[in-house]
Amino acid sequence: MVPLTWYLVLAAGLFCIGVFGALARKNAVGVLMGVELMLNAVNINLVAFWRHTAVSGMTGQLFAIFVITVAAAEAAVGLALFIAIYRQRRTVNVEEIDTMKG
Amino acid sequence: MNLTDLTYLLPELILLLAATAVFLLDLLWLKRPGAEGKRALLPYVALVGLGLAALGLIPSLGGVRQVATMLAADPFAVFFKALAIIGVAVVILTAIPYLRGRTPYRGEFYALLLAVTLAVCLAVGATNLVLIYLGMEFLSITSYVLVGFLRHDCKSGEAALKYFLYGATASAVMLYGMSLLYGATGTTDLGGIAAAFASAPQGAGAGLAWLGTPAIILLLAGFGFKASLVPFHQWAPDTYEGAPTPVTAFLSTVSKATGFAVLIRVFMVVLAAMQYQWTALLIAVSIVTMTLGNLTALRQTNIKRLLAYSSIAQAGYILIGVAAVWMSGATFTGLNGVLIYLFAYLFTNVGAFAVVTAVESATGATEVKDYAGLVTRSPWLAGLLFVFLISLAGIPPTGGFMGKFFVFGAAVQQRLWVLVAIAAVNSVIAAFYYLNVVRYMFFTPAEEGAEPIGVAWPLRGALLVTAVLTLLLGLAPGPLITWATHSVQLLALR
Amino acid sequence: MPEGYLPILVMLLVTGAFATIALVVSAVLGPKRSNPAKDEAYESGILPFGDARRRFPVQFYVIAVLFILFDVEVILMYPWAVSARKLGVFGLIEMAIFLGILLVGFVYAWKNDAFKWQ
Repeated sequence: MVPLTWYLVLAAGLFCIGVFGALARKNAVGVLMGVELMLNAVNINLVAFWRHTAVSGMTGQLFAIFVITVAAAEAAVGLALFIAIYRQRRTVNVEEIDTMKG
Repeated sequence: MNLTDLTYLLPELILLLAATAVFLLDLLWLKRPGAEGKRALLPYVALVGLGLAALGLIPSLGGVRQVATMLAADPFAVFFKALAIIGVAVVILTAIPYLRGRTPYRGEFYALLLAVTLAVCLAVGATNLVLIYLGMEFLSITSYVLVGFLRHDCKSGEAALKYFLYGATASAVMLYGMSLLYGATGTTDLGGIAAAFASAPQGAGAGLAWLGTPAIILLLAGFGFKASLVPFHQWAPDTYEGAPTPVTAFLSTVSKATGFAVLIRVFMVVLAAMQYQWTALLIAVSIVTMTLGNLTALRQTNIKRLLAYSSIAQAGYILIGVAAVWMSGATFTGLNGVLIYLFAYLFTNVGAFAVVTAVESATGATEVKDYAGLVTRSPWLAGLLFVFLISLAGIPPTGGFMGKFFVFGAAVQQRLWVLVAIAAVNSVIAAFYYLNVVRYMFFTPAEEGAEPIGVAWPLRGALLVTAVLTLLLGLAPGPLITWATHSVQLLALR
Repeated sequence: MPEGYLPILVMLLVTGAFATIALVVSAVLGPKRSNPAKDEAYESGILPFGDARRRFPVQFYVIAVLFILFDVEVILMYPWAVSARKLGVFGLIEMAIFLGILLVGFVYAWKNDAFKWQ
């Protein structure tokens, strides 16, 4: 069996890439993709912990399934928002969406 | 799960039914031409649903009970469920005149407000990380839609975009913390995690207990985002300014209270073993939050932004109560201060936003300078806003004073002198910008040709309820203090 | 532990070597005669028309979002299906409530003409 540490390092790496994407991307869809990477890192963590350390039950796997479904709902709401904003402003670049400041 | 368990779930079930009913009524029957008059009744249907949900709380009163493995029906949860139901009811009253002419999709708005109440009820009662995540995310996703509800308003969309991007990131970070807690202990049940941390963890997970420390910080990102604590607050000013004003009132009170409720439950129950670590962290966050909120509020010209930064600062004061927690049966347990503060703040802030809604509905103005001479245009609105502002500043005889008194009292009792001193200085700074608005209302003449402001009936109801309770909680705080002190009982707290 | 991955390493090396050899050999030995038919995007396929980067109706987007939602939410039926016998009638009722809520969403999209091609 692959040791737990390897999975944790993979998940931590993926999470960091996701954080970088969420912070550095200018396109709102890019930010959302970064967030999805972070969520996938969490899923790797959950399933790896479930396989290696869980006392009993299927909690880790179930948690991962919930994360996947909620992420889909979140992405759907986000994309709908992006469409609405794009129709108004012809852009989803977060640096150009700045009518409010201060 | 048996039938007794279902009676503890009554508020949630009623809210679910009411939300679906409002949604389907609007969709299937009232969208037809000619049904306009009947559609105006929808908010009242929603209010009836909230009333029934409040009655559904009765079986949960009193005891500390576990419901179906993942939910608690303890006094703490009941307190926050009652807070959410009352808060959303007042928000619906302010929304009735606000939405008129702004959006044709009013039925969905009230259905979403009921759904968001359901989300709060689930989040504050949850005793399992899975359900806490689901509840918080339900609350967030519904809030994104509510914030961006005015589709043709540029600012509303921008507010929703910012809220969404920050919220999605914060919840992913929180989730990573949850996965670490699960890994360290092998369970997601709060009581189980606490037990695992208290005794050295057994089995293959032994040696992972140190993951608790990073987990605290990661979880704080998610809860702090909802409670708008610095440094997770950047969304707040823009979102508060751009969102429909009733939604802003909701976000700054009920949604914030939910963030605190979940934070308290997780930190008190799960991380009790690490209290020394998170107390220091929370003191630091509290100081930064109130100072930054107040200093930035000083130079705001838009009333909604001003209240947004004030709301960030208030979150800092409230956090003092959590940092100074002292569960020994004393008068100031810290937590009862948090509950009193949140309850008084609910009426004060919703009331302040109700006044803003009234002015905005009549004139469309949201700048502080537009409040010049408000006393001549509408003496009642000016008087009420005065009451709400002195309550926000924490001046007696208002509910805001009681909240500050109990929170600061807990900090004094814990001898957190630096924290108390900084909080006191902050209160003085805050009084300055609150009273600046008062100066505009009473002592600056109105512009030429400014007309009197009319207030719609439902909004008058909201203003009456909030103003009376803001004053009542300051003049006769006894029942609230008793209730809040009783409500610090948490399931699985050792 | 790493010894178990030796076959994978061997396979990686073999496939890499094969691909490299095939490319090099065809580049060196193959005759190079160009004609217009060879330069087309899909040789002996359907002729391409228009630009692939043209704008397409936003309607696709809405339907895609709705598809993702309903598609992914159905994942939640898997855990229930696995333990359906153990959960019995209670589980069945719960799943019915869940599907009922999804159905409300579906009716909403339907009544608002989200599935109609305008």
